[in-house]
Amino acid sequence: MVQEALIRMQMLGVLEHRDVALRAVSAACKLVSRRPQRIDLSEFRTQVVSAVGEAFNNIVLHGYAGRDDGVIELDIETAPGRIKVELRDYGESFDLDAIPVPDLELLPESGLGIFIIKAFMHIRYRPGSPNVLILTKSVVPDRSAGASPNPSEDDSASATPNPSEGDS
Amino acid sequence: MTFSISINEAGVIRLSIEGELDAMTVSDLRLEIEKMLMRPIGRVEVDLAQLRMLDSSGVGALVSLYKQVRARGGEVVVVGLRDQPLAIFRLLRLDRVMVGAELKAPAGGTTAPKHPG
Repeated sequence: MVQEALIRMQMLGVLEHRDVALRAVSAACKLVSRRPQRIDLSEFRTQVVSAVGEAFNNIVLHGYAGRDDGVIELDIETAPGRIKVELRDYGESFDLDAIPVPDLELLPESGLGIFIIKAFMHIRYRPGSPNVLILTKSVVPDRSAGASPNPSEDDSASATPNPSEGDS
Repeated sequence: MTFSISINEAGVIRLSIEGELDAMTVSDLRLEIEKMLMRPIGRVEVDLAQLRMLDSSGVGALVSLYKQVRARGGEVVVVGLRDQPLAIFRLLRLDRVMVGAELKAPAGGTTAPKHPG
C-alpha cells in the first residue's frame, strides 16, 4: 500500500535554488504509486515539474523581484494517486484572476507561466503573508491499459492532463 | 545549459542547446542570438535533442528568435524535441510553426486547453 508522505523544505527564493526544489518534486512524483517501476509516470512528472518550476520562477522574478533574501517554503504531500505542492512566500502578492489568458496565435514571448501552471495542475492561491500557492494533480487510471477494476488494489495508471480537476 | 552555433556549407545556421533553458540560463542564449542575428540569416536549425528542461523564459527566447529570423526573411526549424520540452511546445502550440513535420501534433491533437483554469 502506498504511504502518504510529506516532504518539507525551505530555501532562498533565488533561481539557483530552483533545481533543488524541482528534483525533490520529481522524486516525490514516484511516491504516488505503489509500483512506480511498473507504470509510466513520465507525463505526470513532466507536468508537475513544469508547473512547479513556473511557480518558483514567478515567486523569484515577481514576488521577490530583485531581492535575494526572500524565503520559499515548500511542502510536497503525496498520497495514492495524488500529489500536492504548496509554496509559501513573503513577497509581493498578485491577483490570479486578473492574469489574462495568452493568445497563443500571436506567439507571445512572455506571460506564459500561469498558463502553463493551469494547464498542468489545479491551482489555488491565497495572497497574504505568506502568499500561499497550492498545486495539486491526480494520476488518472487508464482502464485501456489493463488497470485493475479496483484502483486501490492495482495502481497501474497513466497521467493525463486535467486542468479542471479538483484537489479533493 | 550549454549551446553551440555552427554554419554549414549551405549557410544553414545550426544552434544546438543542451541541458536546461530556463529563467536562470536564458540571458546567455539571448546574448548569443543577438550576435547571430547581426549576420545574414537564411535558415536556422535549432537542435533541442539534448535539451532536458524548458520553461516559459526559454520559450520566450526561442519565439523571439523565430520572429526576428522571420522578419529578416529567414526560417527557423526546431529539431530533436522530446520529453518535457516537447510537452511545452505542444501545450503552447509552437509545434504548428517551429518544428519539423515529424513532430507536428495531429489536427486537434494538442493538449493545450483553450481556457485553462
